[in-house]
Amino acid sequence: MINHFFRLGFVQMGVQLRMRVLNLWSLVLFFTQPAIFSTVGILLSRAAGNANPDLIYTVLGAGIMGMWSGLVFTSTYDIRADRATATLELIVGSPTPLRRVVGFRSLMNILAGSSSMIAASAVAVLLFNYSFVGINVLGAVISFLLLLIGLWCMGVFLANLFAWSRLSGTFVDLLEMPIALLCGFMFPISVLPLWMQKISAVFPIRWGLEGLRDSLQGGMIDSALTTKWLISLGISLVFYLLSRWFDNKVHDHIRVTGELNSI
Amino acid sequence: MPTSSSISAIEAVSLEKTYNTRQGFWKRSTHTTEAVRGISFWVNQGELFGILGPNGAGKTTTVKMLSTLLIPTSGKIHIFGQDIIAHTNEIRKRIGFTFGGARGLYGRLTAEENLRYFAELYALPPKTTRKRIDELLELVNLLERKNDKVETFSSGMQQRLHIARALLHDPEIIFLDEPTVGIDPVGARELRAMVKNLKEHGKTILLTTHYMAEADELCDRIAIINKGKIVALDSPANLKNQMTDDHRVELIVSSEHLLLVKNALSQLGSKEKITYADHAFHTSIIIQTPRLGTVIELLSPLLNNGLIQNLDVRNQTMEDVYVTIIQNEEK
Repeated sequence: MINHFFRLGFVQMGVQLRMRVLNLWSLVLFFTQPAIFSTVGILLSRAAGNANPDLIYTVLGAGIMGMWSGLVFTSTYDIRADRATATLELIVGSPTPLRRVVGFRSLMNILAGSSSMIAASAVAVLLFNYSFVGINVLGAVISFLLLLIGLWCMGVFLANLFAWSRLSGTFVDLLEMPIALLCGFMFPISVLPLWMQKISAVFPIRWGLEGLRDSLQGGMIDSALTTKWLISLGISLVFYLLSRWFDNKVHDHIRVTGELNSI
Repeated sequence: MPTSSSISAIEAVSLEKTYNTRQGFWKRSTHTTEAVRGISFWVNQGELFGILGPNGAGKTTTVKMLSTLLIPTSGKIHIFGQDIIAHTNEIRKRIGFTFGGARGLYGRLTAEENLRYFAELYALPPKTTRKRIDELLELVNLLERKNDKVETFSSGMQQRLHIARALLHDPEIIFLDEPTVGIDPVGARELRAMVKNLKEHGKTILLTTHYMAEADELCDRIAIINKGKIVALDSPANLKNQMTDDHRVELIVSSEHLLLVKNALSQLGSKEKITYADHAFHTSIIIQTPRLGTVIELLSPLLNNGLIQNLDVRNQTMEDVYVTIIQNEEK
């Protein structure tokens, strides 16, 4: 059983890597977009009079933007592509739950999306001579892991949402930029009105990102940081449980409406 | 119905499937389509059961309900005595299915990679997977193309690979929804041979097809469905006998001799059904008759005098039966 779980993961992630990640368009999405965001962010910051633009909001923001876009587009594209090629009904009709397939695919998407962070950082280091010194490495690693967990939970939840209906693909554009803005990917969230900050609090990536920023600025692992970690983990868990609950609903719903296929 | 001592492989009771489609944004309206309207049948273990019907008759919807991909609006389905809703996952391990056409495979992966991917969804152990992939690729005559990307395959090759995929976990029941659609005659013949071979190995097969000769050749029993209802169900031989004992006499007559032939045919009684189809230079005449001797006796002098260009006598085919049933239903 456990062996099969890991084999399934290996096969799903391998196929995902070959089918969705290792192609020109995905590589453009994962590398070029964050590199452009990072460059423009730094240039805008300098133009605004900052002699030493904030590395955290430009580079980190560009990196997370790439990860988020990659996750949203690949997670939604996966389901739409499977629906269009009639492989979705083969997956749903097998004894393996769709959530497990989607879970491994989302994990691959997020790991591939992490390359966005590398691309954004490379631009800052190579083109603008930034250096990463004085960071809290342990805090940054834990925060980054929590950020990945948060993204994964949201990815699995979204994939279920896109399995629900053929028309859900149109929802993608509504998700990408608004959540990036609400969660303050490239600017301090404190500049947003309070009501917007309250909305952003329901997304685990906001808390993981804040933890990562604190750690990259050399902040100690104190109660404020651990609180952010716990909130991030807690909301991620809520998203995961919601997607587990939603998974059964989706499984029944698509078999009632006949929306497993694109025809 | 099957007796209690022998459990049917498939048992469908009063199956119905209705789709509701919502239209409009401000003024929402719901359009209801009754795809399947109360069909019941059973399939014995090891039987090859066919479902025939025109486009939109409900064949694919029925197969999708039987293969757990759709939930019936009402009615019951039992696979080996297990309720399909209550035991969905157990049943999925015991059935395999393919749907016609080139879709349903990952084109950028090779044949072997596709099969390995789906084998993992059925939790096959690695050793079994390796063995099964080679066995099945050999069965479907694709072993030499094992490492080629599926996007380079012809429709027939993709269809054969579909069948290999459906057989990976050695299912006891196989649902084949129009397996020969879009395949050339040679490929279709190979596929039919493969289906026969699966039946010989004890598999229960449910086949839907548009091709009457295919159903006649392969199936133990056939259900003809139209507008979501079963309108006939029996063995191919019984269906042909039940419909009529008539023979078909087909004539080709040139336009210049048509009047003479028509006059001769007017001597036949009400037991004969005669249809004429006019073409540019000739007319095709089909005579359906239970009195073959009388008709031949009448036509022989005309044939000998060259008034009839061609005369062909044959028994009713499955296609004749099908067309008659569907036309009667339409009336």
